[in-house]
Amino acid sequence: MNLVIKRSVARGLNFQRGLATTTAVTPRLKNFKVYRWSPDEPSKKPFLQNFQVDLNECGPMVLDALLKIKNEQDATLTLRRSCREGICGSCAMNIGGRNTLACLCKIDQNESKDLKVYPLPHMYIVKDLVPDLTGFYQQYKSIQPYLQRKSYPEDGKEILQSVEDRKKLDGLYECILCACCSTSCPSYWWNQEQYLGPAVLMQAYRWLIDSRDQAAQTRKTMLQNSMSLYRCHTIMNCTRTCPKGLNPGLAIAEMKKELATD
Amino acid sequence: MLPRTTFRTSLNRIFHTTSKRSLTIPFLSTLPQKPGGVEGTANDPFIPPAPSKTHGSYHWDFERFLAVSLIPLVTLPLATGGSISTVADGFLSTVLLGHLYVGFQSCIIDYIPQRVYGKNHGRAMFLLSLGSLLSLIGVYKLETEENGTIGVLTSLWKSRKDDEGQQDEKN
Repeated sequence: MNLVIKRSVARGLNFQRGLATTTAVTPRLKNFKVYRWSPDEPSKKPFLQNFQVDLNECGPMVLDALLKIKNEQDATLTLRRSCREGICGSCAMNIGGRNTLACLCKIDQNESKDLKVYPLPHMYIVKDLVPDLTGFYQQYKSIQPYLQRKSYPEDGKEILQSVEDRKKLDGLYECILCACCSTSCPSYWWNQEQYLGPAVLMQAYRWLIDSRDQAAQTRKTMLQNSMSLYRCHTIMNCTRTCPKGLNPGLAIAEMKKELATD
Repeated sequence: MLPRTTFRTSLNRIFHTTSKRSLTIPFLSTLPQKPGGVEGTANDPFIPPAPSKTHGSYHWDFERFLAVSLIPLVTLPLATGGSISTVADGFLSTVLLGHLYVGFQSCIIDYIPQRVYGKNHGRAMFLLSLGSLLSLIGVYKLETEENGTIGVLTSLWKSRKDDEGQQDEKN
């Protein structure tokens, strides 16, 4: 019995030794500077905390690095994430000076360069990389993002839409409401309590031009004031930053055109 | 100990935000703002301002009309080398003034909003209107007593050229 144990231990040792003698890979440590602020210590000013991540043992995306930091170095690092494939819009943050989704943003493989990770700019911060998006969701709710009709087809079947009318929604319906565009817009920074912002306005346009919707007039009337829509000064940060490659700036311009003859 | 705990529970939202000082104009008084910039939960809809076409689409149409009509009005004196009729000059000056008025109005709405600055917003608008009105009187004077806006511009250009010419002669 003892002999067997001794043998297996010896084998195990041999095996480990064998692994250790394989080519030793030098770690490629990259500095990640991450914005930290905790509501538990409100008097402590926010700061950038430096984390070193070995790129050899990390996935290709910034989200992989952040999760690796959270798993291995500091479990208190707080961030939103869910789908890790750019469809939920949870991990929107400011990475290297650009609002984008951490799961769609590749890590610059040059380890001599630091990577700074901030939460979405000019938002109230709940903790670390988590911004408060309550106002954003309230604005989205206010545009009534659902089909509104006075009459329905008499046969009780679905409301039909032509191929051309459906094509109008392409480039609008793909929006995942990650708030990257809204929080990159200077107009939204100054007046986010009244200006709806590019993301919500693009959805307003998406419901405005839907051929199945019959509430176009109320949708237009809602925007007839100086704040909701007309704070857009075509700065176009929204289009530049959109991680899904959409064009909210164009949607807002189209909506201004629709309202011009209203 | 007791007052401290009541203080903690009365705070619905504890957020960190950049010092307010850096985001507001220091010499203008501001109104108290909602904590965290929002009221209620994500399920409460945001209530937009009351609809008004004069502040909405009509204003935008007017703004674009002024901007577009400036194109021929500016091209004309550039093409003719400054010799345009008083009427054309008057149109150019008035439309340009209107364009500037709308532009500054936009700046005031952006940076001195009523939501934050209250009465100071109205005061800024009043100052802008007053300045524009005085400018309009100035435009009238320029058109009737002087050579018009383009005339003044051309004279500036010419006098500088003359000065240079004199300097050249001296050299």
